[in-house]
Amino acid sequence: MSGIVIEGAVRSFGTVRAVDGVNLTVGDGEFFTLLGPSGCGKTTLLRMIAGFCELDAGEIRFGARRIDKLPAHTRDIGMVFQNYAVFPNLTVAGNVAYGLKARRVAEADLARRVDEALALVQLAGYGERWPHQLSGGQLQRVAIARALVIRPQVLLFDEPLSNLDARLRVSMRAEIRELQKSLGITAIYVTHDQEEAMSVSDRIALMQSGKLEQVGAPSEIYRNPATRFAAEFMGTTNLLEARALGRDGAGKVSLRPEALRLDAEAPAGWPRIGGTVAQVEILGPITRFDVRLADGSLLKVAALDEPHRTLATGAAVMLAYDPARLTMLP
Amino acid sequence: MTLAIPHQQRLPLAIAALGFLFLGLFLLYPLFNVFGASLLDSEGEKFTFANYLKVLGRPFYRGAIVNTLTIGVAATVTTTLMSVPFAFALARLPVPGKAAILALAAMPLVLPSFVSAYAIVLLLGRAGIVTQWLNSWGIGFGSIYGAGGIVLVYTLTLYPYVLLPTMAGFKAVDVSVEEAAQSLGSSPRRTLWTVTLPIVLPSILAGGLLVFIETLENFGVPFVLAEDMPIFAVEAFKLFIGETAPNPSSAGVLGVLLILTTAAVLLVQRRYLSSRRFATGARAAPPVLQVGPVLRIAAAVYCWTVVLLALVPFFAIVVLSFMEFRGPVLHANFSLENFAILFDRSTRPLLNTLLFATAAAVAVTLVGVPIAYVVTRLRGALATVLDVVATLPFAVAGTVLAIGFVVSFNSGWLILTGGPLIMVLAYTVRKVPFAVRSSSAILHQIDSSLEEASVSLGRSPLQTFGRILVPLMLGGILSGFVLTWVTVASELSATVVLYSGQWRTLTVVMFQALESGGGGVATAAASTLIVVTLLPIALLYRLVRRYELS
Repeated sequence: MSGIVIEGAVRSFGTVRAVDGVNLTVGDGEFFTLLGPSGCGKTTLLRMIAGFCELDAGEIRFGARRIDKLPAHTRDIGMVFQNYAVFPNLTVAGNVAYGLKARRVAEADLARRVDEALALVQLAGYGERWPHQLSGGQLQRVAIARALVIRPQVLLFDEPLSNLDARLRVSMRAEIRELQKSLGITAIYVTHDQEEAMSVSDRIALMQSGKLEQVGAPSEIYRNPATRFAAEFMGTTNLLEARALGRDGAGKVSLRPEALRLDAEAPAGWPRIGGTVAQVEILGPITRFDVRLADGSLLKVAALDEPHRTLATGAAVMLAYDPARLTMLP
Repeated sequence: MTLAIPHQQRLPLAIAALGFLFLGLFLLYPLFNVFGASLLDSEGEKFTFANYLKVLGRPFYRGAIVNTLTIGVAATVTTTLMSVPFAFALARLPVPGKAAILALAAMPLVLPSFVSAYAIVLLLGRAGIVTQWLNSWGIGFGSIYGAGGIVLVYTLTLYPYVLLPTMAGFKAVDVSVEEAAQSLGSSPRRTLWTVTLPIVLPSILAGGLLVFIETLENFGVPFVLAEDMPIFAVEAFKLFIGETAPNPSSAGVLGVLLILTTAAVLLVQRRYLSSRRFATGARAAPPVLQVGPVLRIAAAVYCWTVVLLALVPFFAIVVLSFMEFRGPVLHANFSLENFAILFDRSTRPLLNTLLFATAAAVAVTLVGVPIAYVVTRLRGALATVLDVVATLPFAVAGTVLAIGFVVSFNSGWLILTGGPLIMVLAYTVRKVPFAVRSSSAILHQIDSSLEEASVSLGRSPLQTFGRILVPLMLGGILSGFVLTWVTVASELSATVVLYSGQWRTLTVVMFQALESGGGGVATAAASTLIVVTLLPIALLYRLVRRYELS
């Protein structure tokens, strides 16, 4: 197996092109994320790979083998669903054994593999429990164990953490990443949460309106967004006319809040720009403040907390920015 | 070259094809033949509208139409007037023994309504016990034969059709809507009339239309009570039995008119209800209202009176079946004599009833559950058409369907008349809508990601259906099975057309005993039928209770 290749995938629902000519190559063992707002086509693309959604045009290959015409149950895929989809009529062990039984794994081997899979997701000893006795986080672990135990060629995650509370989301995403790396299974992960995508992925495909907006490593998309949409979706940014910063060109530029500093705290070589403080939020580790420039536009600034800094609304300030972190947008 | 059918749609499409095949052969084809019969001359050769002119030209049959519709409207009105306050009391007032009331109120739905009609005759008829007792005191009352008695029996047996959805409607009203009305200065009484009732109105109307359709199709009640008053379903049957010509053209005409009437009513209902769906999104049932002692006692008395009154006829039949009949006159000598006569003649009718009910319930489950799967999982025009066709039997009176069966399957390549299979098939077609409705209600609640999870783990769609969906639907399938079983056991309208010789059922025995005035056998058959109906229901209750406790 050498990764997943998607070529020219198209799917329309009525007049809407949910997936509009997507070309992608996912490397073997890679943790690849489809990121985008709801309705961008990321889930449709995932369901195409899983076999729950037909392609109008294009093809999907696992290595050299074309799979997009195969029935879903013969594709050898492990899928983890947003709402867990744990079978309520089976015990935890019954759920995990389900795919093994479909593959006619021998009884002795089966019990051992179920126990191993449950231990892997830290649910050892939970085999005899029923789904309704488990919490949301435990249910999602069962779903992950169930998908892993069949040793699939590809693992698919459809927003697996969005039904969990914030704290659990953070710990589970680290666990998922660790599991995937230790097992070396190619994974495709769908989420609308930019931070989650950045934390788990080797690479991200940012999608909008059925098309790929930008594909790359998380840091690359964050630091060098190719489009205005990419710049805004991958975290807070300042979108300014290039002229407002005294630069040439008619286009817009993106400047992240953390690339701006107060005059006194910045290296001498950075360009300066003056304004008045419009609003200040001290959030603990960082302080966010808005500065209104002479032309009326607002600049968002984020700085680490500094005990001796005073910022008063209405005060005049001089800012500096890192010219290397200024991204020109088309 | 393979067919370009997406693989995840192959199973639903295959089921849909089988469903259309079954319903096409055993529903659409017989109905088509009824239409055909109505449009051909009595030899079945020439196309003509003369049958319609002949039937509609006779005042007798015009009278049948007017009578049937009048009785239907009257019964719908009385049922609604009786059930809406009942439903409100159960939903919103402190009434003691609500669970018991609900269990008892559902019973008329499964008990045969013509048994109730017969009990009314035995109690209030010319030679009725109550009539004679009142006469001995010099008190007389009007005849219960004809429209009045029929409306009475319909009201007592069909009221759950309005009660149950209306109660659900009252419970689904978001109480904050009422609170909003009252905070705007509306009194509780005005709030009820201007806010609560309008929200519940679609549920009331849906129930009322069910009642109306049931009255149009009902054969047994008018057969027992109408005497010489012409009623649609009864006249269609009599015409069919009486027509000696090869083509039952006149019965066909009445059948077509009956189908068109019910279809029109159903269409009006769909049009009306589709534009009035008030989803208020209540999170919890509205609280029970605090009312004074007078209203509280009145509500309790009212609810218990209605629910018990509806069951009195059935109770009376069981008691009367142990008494001695001399002609139409009853004597208080209690014995098992009536049952001895009934079963000495033959136990076959009882066995046939059990056999047919079981076979039909199995068949309905095997046909209805897969169709429900297609209707809920396969969106699009095909699923809609299948849904409509599978709902169609609901609009077809049993008598009419049975006439279609006889016309279609008494010659040619598929001959079924005279055997038991034709009865089971007719029952199956008649009850399929109920199985489809109840199963698709459950399927809507089962998230399709469960099926996708199973498929992604390597089970084919067919295996997934058997291993995941069927276990999850089991409770609903089981109660649908019992409901089908019970209603088939007391089916009369299709049975009287289709039975033959040794394949008589309990309902036929009762029907024949009524015709020949054999009150003893009729009551014995009726109370046997009541036991046969209630036993599986009681078992189901116990099973459900145990399942819920574990």
